[in-house]
Amino acid sequence: MKNKYIFGGVIIAVFLVLMGYLFTQSNIEYADDFAKVMTTQKTVKATGIWVKEKSYQLDNKNKTFSFFMADENGNQMKVIYEGTIPNNFESAKNVVVTGKYQNGYFHAKDILTKCPSKYEEQKTSSSSL
Amino acid sequence: MIGSIVLTIALSFSIISMIMYFLNYRGYKNTLNYGRIAYHGMAMLVIIASVFLWYIILTHQYQYDYVYSYSNNALRNLGLLHLASSFWGGQQGSFMLWLLLTSIVGIILQSYASKRGDLEPRVMAVFTLATTFLLVMVSPWFKNPFEYIWATPVFVKIEHINSQFLNTNIYPFLQSFFFSDQSTNQGFIQVSSDLVSKLSQAGISVNQFIIDGRGLNPQLLNFWMQIHPPILFSGFAMATVPFAFAIAALMKNDYRDWVRQAFPWMLAGMGVLGLGIMLGGYWAYEMLGWGGYWAWDPVENSSLIPWLVGVAGIHTLLVQKRSQAEGGIGRYAKTNLFLCVLTYVLVLYSTFLTRSGVLGDASVHSFVDPGMFVYLFLVLFIGTFLVLGVGMIAFRWKTLNENIVEEESLLSRELALFTAMIVLIASAIIILVGTSAPIFGQSVDTFFYNEMHVPLAIIIMFLNGLSLLIKWRKTDTRELIKQSIISTVGAVLFTVILILFAGVSDLMIILLSLTTAFSLFVNLDIAIKIVRGNFKMLGAYVAHIGIALFLLGVIGSSVYSQEVTVDLVKGKQASAFGYDLTFTGIYPIENNTKYAFNVDVKKGNSNYNMTPIMYRSDFNNSIVREPAILSLLTKDIYLSPLGYDEGGVDHTSGHKVTLSPGSEIDYEGIKLKYEEFIKPDMAAMMSGGDVEMGTKLIVTKDGKDYEISPLIKIKSGQFEYTPAEIEEANLKVEVSKIEQSNHNADLIISKINGDNTTPNQSNEILSVTASIKPFVNLVWAGVVIMVVGFFISMARRLKESRVIS
Repeated sequence: MKNKYIFGGVIIAVFLVLMGYLFTQSNIEYADDFAKVMTTQKTVKATGIWVKEKSYQLDNKNKTFSFFMADENGNQMKVIYEGTIPNNFESAKNVVVTGKYQNGYFHAKDILTKCPSKYEEQKTSSSSL
Repeated sequence: MIGSIVLTIALSFSIISMIMYFLNYRGYKNTLNYGRIAYHGMAMLVIIASVFLWYIILTHQYQYDYVYSYSNNALRNLGLLHLASSFWGGQQGSFMLWLLLTSIVGIILQSYASKRGDLEPRVMAVFTLATTFLLVMVSPWFKNPFEYIWATPVFVKIEHINSQFLNTNIYPFLQSFFFSDQSTNQGFIQVSSDLVSKLSQAGISVNQFIIDGRGLNPQLLNFWMQIHPPILFSGFAMATVPFAFAIAALMKNDYRDWVRQAFPWMLAGMGVLGLGIMLGGYWAYEMLGWGGYWAWDPVENSSLIPWLVGVAGIHTLLVQKRSQAEGGIGRYAKTNLFLCVLTYVLVLYSTFLTRSGVLGDASVHSFVDPGMFVYLFLVLFIGTFLVLGVGMIAFRWKTLNENIVEEESLLSRELALFTAMIVLIASAIIILVGTSAPIFGQSVDTFFYNEMHVPLAIIIMFLNGLSLLIKWRKTDTRELIKQSIISTVGAVLFTVILILFAGVSDLMIILLSLTTAFSLFVNLDIAIKIVRGNFKMLGAYVAHIGIALFLLGVIGSSVYSQEVTVDLVKGKQASAFGYDLTFTGIYPIENNTKYAFNVDVKKGNSNYNMTPIMYRSDFNNSIVREPAILSLLTKDIYLSPLGYDEGGVDHTSGHKVTLSPGSEIDYEGIKLKYEEFIKPDMAAMMSGGDVEMGTKLIVTKDGKDYEISPLIKIKSGQFEYTPAEIEEANLKVEVSKIEQSNHNADLIISKINGDNTTPNQSNEILSVTASIKPFVNLVWAGVVIMVVGFFISMARRLKESRVIS
């Protein structure tokens, strides 16, 4: 039975070590405090709310898409994404952007929009006549 | 009401069936028939409830929350399949689908088990535990698809209400249920039990009152997306069976027969699950427009993990079955029990990841947070099956003696298959760790998965070839070299050609190509030798050829994919990868709901036509883009639309921006703020007179504020644009378009005396991302061939499963 344990053990051990190393290399942390996002040098996944009042801008010439995001404390930052407006963006409420804060902007590599659940959406948008 | 009652009765039948089967296992002979009757009763009731769910969807009974939330009248016009697929459009329905398919699998399993000795009571007692949990899931306490819309007060859009009842003179009570959103002017009616009772007093049923639903996300309206869930859930349902067999074996403390009996189920289940996973990938490729079929998204990953573990199990199950000939229960008995348990537990974990809301921030697909109770119930579901499975193995650990003295030799198929299992499990662990990381506030970049899988794939493909060349128990080295020489030389030649002519230079990719080609040639060689008269033996080789082709497709389409963003000016030829692309125009399709962008593609004497699609969807009030794919034999050309500029008024080549009221931008150190929208005079508009509208902007340069108002005038139907200028700031701003709904304005900013004022042609521009995907067809073909292999093997193993030792 030795061969079985040598083969199995060595392969699993090698890949666990490799995985541990790559995990730390590719690790991206979630951040919901923009004060921290703005000071760190690392790539993060910033989660926050799209500031709908400030809408968004599409710059056709430079092919960038930008908008403002706010965290729970009300800190706002401008997000610039090299690309076009993501599908579903206009109905988004919560946004997760992956990237780095540099030179006064958050440069996003990836945007993920979370649409509000059906009940939530209506509660916030309704007001009695 | 009917649906909920049927499901509740089905739940009690499932529990009765479970108890009766268990009692029969404990020695009560006369309870077997009760167990069977209760099971079939349960399955019939589940089928009836499912038919009823389809019935209320097809007859648009919007008094049901599920029907209102996931279907609408328009779906009928798109075809019955689209409407019918609302069944699994939401969370409740997808649990229902899973339950339905599990119940049907159970009917087949009952018949299968009843013909194989005393297997039935044990297997069915475990299986009905799974149906019981699923039935609790869709019961009125959790994710019930038959919940009435007013159970939780819902705001229904005014357009979805029958307008003949929207008369507060006749129905004054409606006033207090009417709401409106001031920013969008959207009206809602709050549908609550209070309203329903007032409506019924007035003699109106909810079904008459609500006449349309929300519908489905347009991206789900795709053939592949409609057949993907039923196939995936069939795989999930079939994964229950090996679990049940493993527990049944542990209950009896007999580990010989279960291997043969579970084997065809494992093969069929993993074949179906593999196909289901691929269809999801194909949908992403065809619909989502990011050019790929696999994004290591948690939803994709979570169904891949049980598949990898199941496939790992297939390899060691084969060893155990073979080595039983040496006497005893065979090699890797504990491993196999554990892998069969784990496959189903990981199916449940997959459901937990995607439906409990834990990955809320990590995936586009994840369903929304279903609430604490559902979360806890899912944890209980997984926990029960994990504890049952692992607990039983631990309980029987000492009696699980393989009684094998002889060690596997280094060059034995046993050891090669064991190593293959280990490598597949390593892959599963990697994906599991990466996918679960968001639960702990971490996440990994996709390169984590890619980098880890290249070495794994190299080993897997090497073993894939080697394990078929070496023999059970012992292999003669000289014979091995003799047999492998053709395949090895072929693989080396193939790789050299790749390096010389396709410019492959990355060492890992060279190694991967080498081992993949090796595996391909070994399997082809053997397959060709045995194909005559022995078709049923081909399964493994066909499956392995499929995997090798799949990997070649993955290498070609991902490593050698090229991508470029091009602006296609209407009528002007642009070029990408040696293809000439000409945007020739735009035309409406599907009753003017979508726009197709016609692009002529030319290379040499070949002419093709591609039409990416864009449209604004009412469902989520967003722009939806659909790519166009030109599938050639050796490559796909992929056009993903980015945006469309109508041109027309764009007669300065200034800087064009789109601003919404209140927002601001920087233009070369000058700040522009869109202060407010200058409304047109409605009275003038109605009477057909001249209308003027525009934007009031605050411009700040060097600390000084200016107020300007570029305008659009409509004079007798003709548009006239009046730019505004600030000489001190050397700035000219023209408004070229104002969106009616949200007053977003397109502004063209330029310098008064710059070199950018040369008038430009009125141009329509389509921006696209063009990419080329070499050999992507091999990805689909590889998976399909692999699945065929699974089924050929299943047919062979099904015959063997009838033997009782």
